[in-house]
Amino acid sequence: MTSQMIEYLAQHWIVLLLTFIYLVFCLWVGWYFRARAEEGVESFYVARREIPGWVVSLAFFSTFASTNTYIGQAGKSFQFGLSWAWVGLFWAFFCVISWLVLGPRMRQQTARLGSLTIPDYFYFRYNSDFARAIRLLSAIVILFATLWYMVGITKGLGHVITSVLAIPYAAGTAAVVFVTCAYTVFGGMYSVLWTDAVQGIMMFAVAIIMVTLPFIFVGGVDELMLKISETSHIAKSGEPMGNGLVTFGALVSFFYILGIGLAVGMKQIAEPRCLIRFYSIDNARSMKFAMIWTPVFLGISLICVMGLGALVHGMATEEEAAYLINNTDEVVGFMLAKFDNPIISGVCVAGLFAAGMSSLASVMLIVGTAFVKDMWDVVSDVPEVKVVNYTRWTMAAYCVLLYGVTLYPPAGIVEMTAFSGAVFAASFFPAIFGGLYLKWGTDLGALASMIAGIAGCLVWRLLFRFEYEALSDVHEIIPAFILSSLIYLVVSKATSTRIPSDAHLRRIFA
Amino acid sequence: MDFMTSLPYWGILLIIAVNAVIVLRMDVTLDDESDD
Repeated sequence: MTSQMIEYLAQHWIVLLLTFIYLVFCLWVGWYFRARAEEGVESFYVARREIPGWVVSLAFFSTFASTNTYIGQAGKSFQFGLSWAWVGLFWAFFCVISWLVLGPRMRQQTARLGSLTIPDYFYFRYNSDFARAIRLLSAIVILFATLWYMVGITKGLGHVITSVLAIPYAAGTAAVVFVTCAYTVFGGMYSVLWTDAVQGIMMFAVAIIMVTLPFIFVGGVDELMLKISETSHIAKSGEPMGNGLVTFGALVSFFYILGIGLAVGMKQIAEPRCLIRFYSIDNARSMKFAMIWTPVFLGISLICVMGLGALVHGMATEEEAAYLINNTDEVVGFMLAKFDNPIISGVCVAGLFAAGMSSLASVMLIVGTAFVKDMWDVVSDVPEVKVVNYTRWTMAAYCVLLYGVTLYPPAGIVEMTAFSGAVFAASFFPAIFGGLYLKWGTDLGALASMIAGIAGCLVWRLLFRFEYEALSDVHEIIPAFILSSLIYLVVSKATSTRIPSDAHLRRIFA
Repeated sequence: MDFMTSLPYWGILLIIAVNAVIVLRMDVTLDDESDD
């Protein structure tokens, strides 16, 4: 037993040490900000809108990119080739749109309205009894849709821990969930943003390190490109890939790329975990900094990881490639194992931890705030002094639920995660954009578009997409987003008597 | 690598550059400035 333990530690000590340092650092950050987070609801929920731009910028990047990007999407290009980077192009585009179009206005209006969550922005902006229904509906969507996302992230991290450190899945996922829960519960938005910023730096570095590994392994840029430009590895269709890895559209249809590019990329313009970042920024100079640098952090990282799987073909034998083509989530792990450098593996695993935990922490806080402030407080008044504590207990309870579901994840969790992203984009974006820019947008327009977005996603997925072969690559985000946007415009115009008062609008748009 | 396959790689860099130019020319103001 002892000799086995010594052998285990000799093999894994670097990865264990780096992971341990990283987890202790996260807990320390949470503890450090504990007192400041307890100063009030605004402190715990949005860090009193006093966070520097570079922190918010890195936090946005690390929150949006997750293990799904660094493991799932990177691995997908093993199957689809270098063209898969088109997905990254769409994501970079929506990152720019999010910061250019939504960022400054959202920070401005939410501060004027005293809004602390996305659902309460709808309530304050549209200012009516129906706005209360919008607030409740959006909180319910958040609670339901985020669970699958969190399970997907935790499950991915659990598999990384199992494959790299040989730690049982249940123990690995427990460490991830409860360490993340602890620092989020302690420090609220302060600890989420500051740990996210450090995690963002790690992720940026790891993306650059990872993309160099296949080139170093093969012996140069020209050598690797030559190797993957004509390969005998078998594609998923059963045919040899030939020059498919470097030929546009040879291994994947552009419609499929477009669907994933939009469904995931549009999360940046609709998901609360991304949008809430705008609330916390401290001043205009910080806002400008973040508007320029967030697309840099995200874009460069995407250039590095989105085609990574295609490059790994240069490291794989035909037998290995035949296995990996059906198990693309294991491509990054395979690459690290094949490169066989414990320090590189340790750093990359810490980066993958960072990618997962940064997204988890942000979503945990969103869940806690949505339940207490936008459901509980709306249905029965919660005393102001108890809101922070109730939010903490809600997050802790949700983490227990998350852990339970992670131990027995339902089938098709990846699909459910992508679907929840589509629901957010289709149901939240029109109400957010209309609220920020269209003075004539109404509560009924927002409510109808939200319902249409949810229904559109469900109907397209259940009745059309998988019923007709020709429509299978058309992701539900496309029809549902068009439908909900049109509904917002038409219903708002048709219910113009419900436009909030001039005084209210002057306060928001002044 | 053909043109369409390489496009996203340099396209992302182009988006970053164009965005930086737009933001630098933008006038961004917030109400409750703390130190700006």
